[in-house]
Amino acid sequence: MAIFNLKKREIECKVVYYGPGRCGKTTNLEYIFRSYKKQITGEMVSINTEGDRTLFFDFLPMGLGQIKGCDIRVQLYTVPGQVQYSSTRKLVLRGVDGLVFVADSLEVRREKNMLSLKDLQSNLKDNGLSIFKIPLVMQYNKRDLADDGIPLMPLDQMEKDLNRQLKVPAFPGSAVRGDGVGDTLKECLKLTLKNLQKELKWAK
Amino acid sequence: MALKDQIKTLLQEADLYRHQGLLTEAKTKYLRAAEVIKKNEQIKNRDSLIAAIQKKIASLEADTERVEQGPSSPRLSDKAQDLIQKLFTFADTDNQEDQALQGAIALAKFGQFERALEELGKLLDNPQVGVEAAKNIINCHLSLSDTEQAVAQYEEWLANDRFDSSQMERLRTFLEDNLEKKGIKKSLGHSPAVEEPAEEPQDLGTPDEEFIDISSIGITFEEGPSKGSMVEFDVNFQSGNIISLIIPSQDKAMIETLDTGHKLNDIQFYSPIAIFKGKGIVSSKTQIKSGPKQGDFCLDIKITST
Repeated sequence: MAIFNLKKREIECKVVYYGPGRCGKTTNLEYIFRSYKKQITGEMVSINTEGDRTLFFDFLPMGLGQIKGCDIRVQLYTVPGQVQYSSTRKLVLRGVDGLVFVADSLEVRREKNMLSLKDLQSNLKDNGLSIFKIPLVMQYNKRDLADDGIPLMPLDQMEKDLNRQLKVPAFPGSAVRGDGVGDTLKECLKLTLKNLQKELKWAK
Repeated sequence: MALKDQIKTLLQEADLYRHQGLLTEAKTKYLRAAEVIKKNEQIKNRDSLIAAIQKKIASLEADTERVEQGPSSPRLSDKAQDLIQKLFTFADTDNQEDQALQGAIALAKFGQFERALEELGKLLDNPQVGVEAAKNIINCHLSLSDTEQAVAQYEEWLANDRFDSSQMERLRTFLEDNLEKKGIKKSLGHSPAVEEPAEEPQDLGTPDEEFIDISSIGITFEEGPSKGSMVEFDVNFQSGNIISLIIPSQDKAMIETLDTGHKLNDIQFYSPIAIFKGKGIVSSKTQIKSGPKQGDFCLDIKITST
């Protein structure tokens, strides 16, 4: 849940990158950390990786400057994607204001994507939130692997699998190359801040 | 597709999946490649190819085992633990003790029990959060599957009069309930001032993560000066099915009515996602001895049915 400090004119909100294991959540954050240095307000922290697997979460604080005289700060998190870390995902998801669901475009990961989305819906529900109401953006990652002749799911199939009901903005991406990473984040932040605006009644 | 190309593609895919950390998928492709090679006797160096693939599979299996057998909650650095305390304290309060308690609970939830126990230990003497800290110490030991230590800790507090009798009673009930859930029936010693244990209502369990978060309650009083009317209270703290409220010292009549053991048959519970009715029992009443709420009363209500 966003923290509003009206006295200091500061707003701090939380965006979580979710998705199955090895889909590219951490890679997204690493790209953002490298490429948006002006907006990064601290170090990227990866809480314990086993090899290169996120075991707890990654954390990256950003500042977006001022909107209507308020300093906007965003905390980006990733969750561990492996099935066995469900309780950690639920913890990290607490207080979330916006979400990026990173889906793996590899055909062999089709089922994992859907299971992860279901897991997200369930964990949001446990936190008193609805997947249909929370600001959410999809990223269909690893599109670059088509160049290596690896079987990928077509984008329309991924839309059908994951976005038929939700109908949220979706972006193809390649986090290792940085393609689509910025667009995904910007759209998620736009939706998140719009939602917060309603809560704060900025318009008034 | 020519046989050679088919095998090459399978191996390339397997290598890529392995590089991506998709160990199961990689193994599937290696096995498929080996199967194709085995079926086709005309392939040159068939045996050495199969041996090479089997070597890759063995290495994969070793990696998979390492990942699966690794500690699910390794001990983190002090810096990482500090960050967890800072980022996962969701206390809706500026009260430092509440925040400290929530920070310690966050550490426990991330499996950092050693540090959690250390932080919780610092809060035991605090009149506001001491009992909740004690409960979470018990929880830590139980989470570590160290029921003996949980019991030993309780008995140590009992022997040293660490808490007053009603507080010890809360801890006794809490520990016995949790032991029973683990299939351990144990009657714990209780404070001499408590001759009979408080009535044991229907057990709803105290799974922190399973019981809905309650933000406030409305009690309809059946007696006393507020008889017939509903009075709302904010929930100060919740642990499973036990909620804590603060009653200001000025509300003397209400404080008198809501005594330990008092049954509440008409409670409205307000949570972020639902409102529901239920019943409860006042499981403890403690006057706050220090701090900003000195003189006020902290009431614990155990929810008995919903």
